[in-house]
Amino acid sequence: MSKVIQMHTPPGASGARTFWSVCAAVVFLALFAQAWIVVQARPEDLVTGAHGMADIISRAMPPAFDQFVPNLWPVLETIDLAIFGTVFGVLLAFPLAILAAANVTPALPLYYGARALIGVTRAVPDLVWALLFVTAVGLGPFPGALALAVHSIGMLGRLFAEVIEDMDMGPVEALTLTGAGRVQVLTHAVVPGVLPSLLGIGLFRFDENLRSSLVLGFVGAGGIGFQLLTAMNLFQYQTVSFLLIATFVLVTGAERISAYLRKLFM
Amino acid sequence: MSTPFSVQGDIPLSPAAAFAAAGSDMPGASRPAVRASSGVKLAVHDLTMCYENGHTALSNLNLSVSAGEMVVVLGSNGSGKSTFMKCVVGLNRPTGGSVKVAGRDLATLSGEALRRARLPLALISQHANLVKRRSVLANVCCGALGRHRTLATALGRLPRKEIEPALGYLEEVGLLHLARQRAGTLSGGQAQRVAVARALAQRPDVLLADEPVASLDPEAADEVMRLLRRLATEDGLAVVCVLHQPELAARYADRLVGLRSGLLEFDQPASEVSSEQVASLYIAEAS
Repeated sequence: MSKVIQMHTPPGASGARTFWSVCAAVVFLALFAQAWIVVQARPEDLVTGAHGMADIISRAMPPAFDQFVPNLWPVLETIDLAIFGTVFGVLLAFPLAILAAANVTPALPLYYGARALIGVTRAVPDLVWALLFVTAVGLGPFPGALALAVHSIGMLGRLFAEVIEDMDMGPVEALTLTGAGRVQVLTHAVVPGVLPSLLGIGLFRFDENLRSSLVLGFVGAGGIGFQLLTAMNLFQYQTVSFLLIATFVLVTGAERISAYLRKLFM
Repeated sequence: MSTPFSVQGDIPLSPAAAFAAAGSDMPGASRPAVRASSGVKLAVHDLTMCYENGHTALSNLNLSVSAGEMVVVLGSNGSGKSTFMKCVVGLNRPTGGSVKVAGRDLATLSGEALRRARLPLALISQHANLVKRRSVLANVCCGALGRHRTLATALGRLPRKEIEPALGYLEEVGLLHLARQRAGTLSGGQAQRVAVARALAQRPDVLLADEPVASLDPEAADEVMRLLRRLATEDGLAVVCVLHQPELAARYADRLVGLRSGLLEFDQPASEVSSEQVASLYIAEAS
């Protein structure tokens, strides 16, 4: 520590800092130790059971590439689940975000209402939404698409509202003072100001929805997830490995495309 | 307070000295006669603004501005200039007095009635506040939205009828060649001139400018002030401009209004205001 800093450090401050650093380290270690106990971590089992994993991997080789054509439809279903969920999510999240953004909301009760709706749709996982919608509309891709849409409303609504709250309010005030109406100000100043960010977030959401749609297949929402579950139940490990490769290609491809489009819009 | 500089050189001058220097080449005498009618467009009577914390920002301020007249309001920070502008434009509701534009008292109105009454009043701020991702032309057309409240404009379309006039306003501010360019690519001076064009698209009777040159270099500042002067002289607008540069005020204004601690210190033709009067606005506030 330099002399200048030493001169401005109150006596005892250095000791207090060390004490609090030790306390923080102890708290962190205690936190990690309880996590270790609660998850019943047994690393030795991983070593002794490695041959089981190796056995499954060997039975999964070579991947069943002849399953390419029969699985084209489930792949399309998976992509369409993500498209449906994202499009409806964006369309419903945007008006909700306008109401939930403190700087442009028309009324305080609407602000709280929108925030509550966003909170509920976000807090309930998409898997739970899917189970709920399955009871309403039966098995198939539709309940999965609805689940993704509803969960996306919450996720996107919050992010959209934050973007709107962070926007430059200068143009909004300027247009308001020209005598433009509230909706005109929204479409001519707010929307052009935040659109690139919203598109970027929407594309990112599509990417996440694609991954979620795979999981939703496990609860009967169709797509690759459902094929994967079926193949595992039937011990068709070569089909499983092929479907995992297809999933990897799909997710990576969607990631790349969404990253490219985000760069284009931002 | 920002230190004013002489336009010719880089030697810093006191407000009073800069004012005196500017006054020597004041174009007041050679200014062309006002073409438009000389009726009063803005009449402020006994304007008083007292904030909730008890601070009185304005006390019984009286001011009237006629068509074709350019009035510059001078005063140090905290003198009440910004409060005055906010009260006139209806952003602040004054605790007393009236602000009459086109015969309607803005101080008593709110909501939709205020929005309508405010249409003949345009404001240019220190920052141009353009929508950066839209074209210059779209930004100018937006100034006319208040007169075109249709479903199409509510959905984000520009009022078709306003495109031709908007091009005219851009020509008037010397930026027609940039009409299709994105507003975000403009320099500070250009953006401010687009803001003036947007204000013109509103077709106002009164043009308020709140420190319109505060963030501009001297050349761009001069250009904007010349433009405001021309709009008053040739288009007959009543221009009220808040400035921190007494030398610019002396050069371009018809009348100077001095504010100190919310009180009107002077309201005189620019040629009659002495550098001591201007200096007193700043010195007295500092002491």
